[in-house]
Amino acid sequence: MSWTEQSPVTLVVIEDSDEDFDTVQEAVKRAGFPAEVLRAATGVDGVTVLRAQAPTSPTLVLMDLNTPGTDGREALALIKSDPALRSVPVVVFSTSFNQRDIGFCYAAGANAYHVKPVRYPEHLAVLIDVLTYWLSRVVLPVGERSRP
Amino acid sequence: MNPTTDAPPPWANQPYSIKRHGVNITNCDSEPVQTPGCVQAHGAMLVLRHTDLTILQASENTDRLLGHPAETLLNKPVRTAIGPDGEASLKAFLAIEPTDRNPLYVFSLPARNDVPPLDVTAHTIDGVAVVEFEATGRTVAGEPDYYALVKKTVARLQTAQSLREFCDLTADEFRTLTGLDRVMIYKFHADGHGEVFAESRRADLSPWLGLHYPAGDFPQPAREVFKQIWVRPTPDVSGDLAELVPLANPDTGQPLTMTHCALRGASVMYTEYLKNMKVTAGLTMPIRRGGELWGLIACHHYAGPKHVPYQVRAACEFLAQVVSLQYQAAEDREHLAYRLKLDGTHQQLVAQATREDSLAALTGGTPNLTDGISAGGAALYHQGRWWRVGNTPTEAELEALGEWLNDRPEFASATRPLYATDALTQDYPPAAAFADVASGLLAVPLSRVNQDWILWFRPETTQTVNWGGNPHEKPMVPGPHGPRLTPRASFELFQESVRGRSLPWLTVELDAAARLRMLVMEVVVSRAQRLADLNANLKESNEELDAFAYVASHDLKEPLRGIHKYAHQLLEDATITDKEQRRKLDGLMRLTVRMDSLLDSLLHFSRVGRAALQTEDTDLNELVNESIEMVDARRAEGPTEIAVPRPLPHARCDRVRCREIFVNLLSNALKYNDKAQKRVEVGFVAPREVHPRPGCPTGSADLTIYYVRDNGIGIPARHFEQVFKMFKRLHGRDEYGGGTGAGLTIVQKLVERHHGRVWLDSTPGEGTTFYFTLATQEEA
Repeated sequence: MSWTEQSPVTLVVIEDSDEDFDTVQEAVKRAGFPAEVLRAATGVDGVTVLRAQAPTSPTLVLMDLNTPGTDGREALALIKSDPALRSVPVVVFSTSFNQRDIGFCYAAGANAYHVKPVRYPEHLAVLIDVLTYWLSRVVLPVGERSRP
Repeated sequence: MNPTTDAPPPWANQPYSIKRHGVNITNCDSEPVQTPGCVQAHGAMLVLRHTDLTILQASENTDRLLGHPAETLLNKPVRTAIGPDGEASLKAFLAIEPTDRNPLYVFSLPARNDVPPLDVTAHTIDGVAVVEFEATGRTVAGEPDYYALVKKTVARLQTAQSLREFCDLTADEFRTLTGLDRVMIYKFHADGHGEVFAESRRADLSPWLGLHYPAGDFPQPAREVFKQIWVRPTPDVSGDLAELVPLANPDTGQPLTMTHCALRGASVMYTEYLKNMKVTAGLTMPIRRGGELWGLIACHHYAGPKHVPYQVRAACEFLAQVVSLQYQAAEDREHLAYRLKLDGTHQQLVAQATREDSLAALTGGTPNLTDGISAGGAALYHQGRWWRVGNTPTEAELEALGEWLNDRPEFASATRPLYATDALTQDYPPAAAFADVASGLLAVPLSRVNQDWILWFRPETTQTVNWGGNPHEKPMVPGPHGPRLTPRASFELFQESVRGRSLPWLTVELDAAARLRMLVMEVVVSRAQRLADLNANLKESNEELDAFAYVASHDLKEPLRGIHKYAHQLLEDATITDKEQRRKLDGLMRLTVRMDSLLDSLLHFSRVGRAALQTEDTDLNELVNESIEMVDARRAEGPTEIAVPRPLPHARCDRVRCREIFVNLLSNALKYNDKAQKRVEVGFVAPREVHPRPGCPTGSADLTIYYVRDNGIGIPARHFEQVFKMFKRLHGRDEYGGGTGAGLTIVQKLVERHHGRVWLDSTPGEGTTFYFTLATQEEA
């Protein structure tokens, strides 16, 4: 099954940096996937956005770990402890390569953890790789959430 | 004390008389010293019925002193002996004066033929009036002013600064007053044995000061008497005894209680004892504290009989009472002084321990624990080990003692947990093994949890005292009444009674120990508190460092990423064609990349200092080979030779971090090298190997020294220190392949984490050698 046969994916991006969000959008554009990109600047906003989503379309969360207010860690824990949201894949992006952060995220149920490179081309390349993988290679769950 | 005391004494069924029955050493504690039946024959005695002054008993020597044989006086009115005037005076005196158990001077009988003038004293007891006759001792020259003498003495005693000075003064004053050859202040210890505490003597006599005498030398009945009377004269130790006629009061059938009589016949035990010491006359006064007998003022004379007349005795009696009263004050002062001294010493100890930050100062310094409370030795259990000073049991014995102490009920007291004994073996039989050093124990706990203690030890009494009369050499001195009559025979028994006993602990000492405990606990607690604070601070700074590292990695990098991105996008913008502008944008991007790697180095360095080492036995050859592979990229830059001339030893180290040391050093060796043929050598100098060790820090020469040597550009000696500084580069940013300047700082940190040292030797233009040691072997 390829992406063309799926309904368009909703991409929820939890990211407080305008520059980094811009890079995500650029990556989505370059990857060429039809995705609806929704932005939340804080973790709690991200969870609100997710809950407001109609459960019919496949959804992917890209999350920055350190966001103002409710920090990404908390948002991750909220998503993964909510039975209605638990199955939504969460891909963490962070500047930190601290083992404590990495360990925490996987233990909390993150589906992948990536370090954001400072160099723009590298950053863009990582994002395109991630999007390609999750949006074309991975079968996203629609199961329970897709039922009317 | 002796099995023979169970048998009834020979005088059980008749009135006792020293003359008839005598005594021996085995029953002296049951000798009826208060009813001896005899008077000292230098004086005479009449016992009168109080109501009508009829003579009931008379000493058998009345013929010589009063001119009437005793038998002729019995049942006669007293005027038969002292004339009608005498009777009238006596009658009037007894009617108005407080004579009950209180002998008072009534009048003097004039000289008659060869009999000197006699002082007549009288007191009443148990329905009789006891009248004693003694030579007045008055001289033609007249009497000294005893009142003035005593007044002066009292004034002098009040100036005494210590108990010892007080007792020294007392001895001097009594010798002046009585004219006897030796005056001793004899102090009783709690176990009953006596000590010559102060002494005043004729210059030619050998000193007895400091000598101790067994308790048996001064039997209990004699002690009881001194709780009732203030003076006891023995003017002629070899003098005869005169028995009372009859021995029992015909009205009551009871023997006369002579406790208060100056003429009371002395126990043969006592006179024999004095004779053994060549004493010819004696006078004894008690020093009482409350109702207790603290000691005696014992006056000895060696030049024949010495009669101390009633007037002088009265002065002595008064003075003994004054001494007893002032003694209490002097003792209080003394205890106060001792208490101050103890507290002073203890405060010094605690200050010392605080300064050195170790309780070991209590036993190891000057002063130490034995300089405060008087003790033969002391021990401290703290931080899981014993610290000892002076004479103490062995560590194994202390270990067992500590275990036993732990269960003592005394330590359950929250207010004053303290255990003190002067007979440890009685509570703890294993102490018999070290009774010589620790018959006495004073223990205070510092921590019940850690079972920390301060212990003071006192040796067995027999180890410390100077026994009078050399009892070891002369256990028995034969006397006229046989060898058993010598007091020295009691020594063996006495020694038995003090075996396993130490001098007792004073109340001031117990108080001082309790106070020291509080002070020391404060030190311990404040030290623990300080350590906890330091740890908390350390933890806090570690957390701050973590937080900083986080800031560096995220919060600083995020804007950096943005800047980089804009520069990149601008460069991609085809409308910007100006070369100069493009060059500046290139620079901007390069700077952001550099900043990124600086932040990474900082983050890495902060981790090097904190993460725990995982040391294991490591083959350094493997490590060096891996390191060489990791710097392979640099080798590609030109012809390179990395040599390991002889196999490296194994070392105990953290594999990953140690490899990082080699990688950094190898990478530097190749990087700062302008030679056409780059050569690097990795080797070591074994501990005792004959080999130059340039720049080697003290203490590192006896460790294996590893080195990485290059033929590179070299480093001027003035920069040897600087190369290890964070982000300190000696060259332009992009010279020699750039770099953040953190490599050697990280090497230094890694070596330090392995308890090693790193240093270098270099000749500019010829090459550099970096040396380092790894000292973690001992930690295995």
